[in-house]
Amino acid sequence: MNFIRKRIIEYLIVLAVVVNLDFILPRIAPGNAAEILITGYANPGLQQQLLAQKFGLNQSIYVQYVDYLRNIFLTWPPNFGISFQYYPATVDSLIAQRFWWTILLIVVSLIVSVLIAYGMAGISSLRRGGKGELASTYSSILLQATPVYWTGLVLIWVFAVTLHWFPVFGKVDVNATSTLSYISSVIWHGVLPVVALAGSLLGENYLILRGTTQEVLRSDYVNAASLRGLRQRVIARSYILRNSLLPLVSLLTFSLAGLISRAVLVEAVFGYAGLGDLLVDGIFYHDYPVLQGTLFVLTVIILVGGFIGDLVLVRLDPRLRKS
Amino acid sequence: METLIAVPKRRSTLATLFRKKNAIVGAGLILAVLIFIAIGPFLTPYSPTAIAGNFNEPPTVAHPFGTDYEGHDLLSQIVYGAYPSLIVALEAALGAAIIGFFVGVAGGYFDRTGGALAGLTDITLTFPVLPMIILVSSLFVPTDQLISFLLIAFLWAPVARAVRAQVLSVKKRPFVDAAKTNGMGDTSIMLKVVAPEVAPLAVAYFIINVSVGVVLVTALQFLGVGNPNAVSWGSILYWAQQFGFDYGDWWWVLEPGIIISIVATGFALIGFGFEEVMNPRLRKK
Repeated sequence: MNFIRKRIIEYLIVLAVVVNLDFILPRIAPGNAAEILITGYANPGLQQQLLAQKFGLNQSIYVQYVDYLRNIFLTWPPNFGISFQYYPATVDSLIAQRFWWTILLIVVSLIVSVLIAYGMAGISSLRRGGKGELASTYSSILLQATPVYWTGLVLIWVFAVTLHWFPVFGKVDVNATSTLSYISSVIWHGVLPVVALAGSLLGENYLILRGTTQEVLRSDYVNAASLRGLRQRVIARSYILRNSLLPLVSLLTFSLAGLISRAVLVEAVFGYAGLGDLLVDGIFYHDYPVLQGTLFVLTVIILVGGFIGDLVLVRLDPRLRKS
Repeated sequence: METLIAVPKRRSTLATLFRKKNAIVGAGLILAVLIFIAIGPFLTPYSPTAIAGNFNEPPTVAHPFGTDYEGHDLLSQIVYGAYPSLIVALEAALGAAIIGFFVGVAGGYFDRTGGALAGLTDITLTFPVLPMIILVSSLFVPTDQLISFLLIAFLWAPVARAVRAQVLSVKKRPFVDAAKTNGMGDTSIMLKVVAPEVAPLAVAYFIINVSVGVVLVTALQFLGVGNPNAVSWGSILYWAQQFGFDYGDWWWVLEPGIIISIVATGFALIGFGFEEVMNPRLRKK
């Protein structure tokens, strides 16, 4: 089967599972959905009203299901109902406010971590077995195993609370009015979250890149290149780094799900008001519509990102086009 | 180290493993933590939930790890808080290794079901684990059993993927053909000839998954999924995040994170060392 077609089918299954779980779980949970959700923190009467509106619980399960699917797929923006916690804001409006902030955090962190990992792998492939390589490898394993939320706490402690270099909380200063001050405020707020997230990705990326660069180093064409008298630097750049791109893209595509989980934690720790922060707030307030909508959007981000990765993979690796 | 004993009849593997520096460092770290947890109750007379001293006391002789904002002794919190964090991770990793092993072996051995099982594995790897567990825990009481069950539902997939890849290469070796020529059935070749060859890889992934599991479980505890009043490594950080900054209790924030990192790094080092011994072709992935 064609690689892309296979991936699309897999992605559609993932989406179907998430959408159906969102529907089924509240209905099979102990007690009925209404009772569970009313144990939340807001006004019970209000929640009951909202629930009737959201779930149409008096209708048959079939009608509920069709309505549910119609609300998600045939409505724009998708209708996940109304948040309990931010009543009367709709879930889609909350998500819309936060969506691009999460994308910004993820994309910047990914780019930073890949660039640094590339640099580290390039240097250690030139000086194999050196102290630098050993240190990079050990620190990568340590970075990979250190909980990202704790790294976040420590960063806040050192650079925000103690040194006052960066803000403790938030994603942008509300007083920033001009475009320039707005942008600088976003950067200023974003540094620590990006460092935490990029740092936790760095270990994984470096370990994969180191493995592949070493494999390329042992290959015949690198041997031939050095016999032809090409300089080490040229070999590193045009042979080794280029050939290790493929496994890296493949890794990134597969690690998107993990990346989203980490981004959720980073946003929660830094009070960076993106989708992850919304999700974590939803735990405390038993805000099921918000949890449901956020999970759906996070899944879509993973699937779209994965699909882009797959397209890049197919471009990079002609073998995938044939099989 | 029960994790290492779980590799029977593989003395050569084990011997090679102990020549790997990574694995030795990892085993040392885990052993140190286990000893610390085991003798912990003798080091501190306090209950983890008792008000044992002054509030916000930095590390002293009476409280080597200091106290939190309510005067709880942090040494005893960390010693007793180890159990909910470690046991859930161990359970989850064990269940995931068993399921992943069988799915991987069957998926690698049988061509027809193999594609479907590989697809199922890829699909499982695509789910956002943490958000999904958060959603389920918001509806069902997030007991330790539920959390480890949910972790198993996701963590089997990496095991299956690695095992399947290994089975695909083992299948081509001459002794499998020999077994076929001798008239062994597919099922018995799979279970008696192929499975033992790849079992150590599943053990390696079990160990790696303990590392992943510890980080995930403490993350959930940290987010307040489950009962934040039950003392665990993650819940100590949950309270430390709420109050530690205000009182300047740096030790309260540092200690649980350091021990989680040591445990996760230790298991990761053993697992990677193991995996490298098992699977020299690993670097090709």
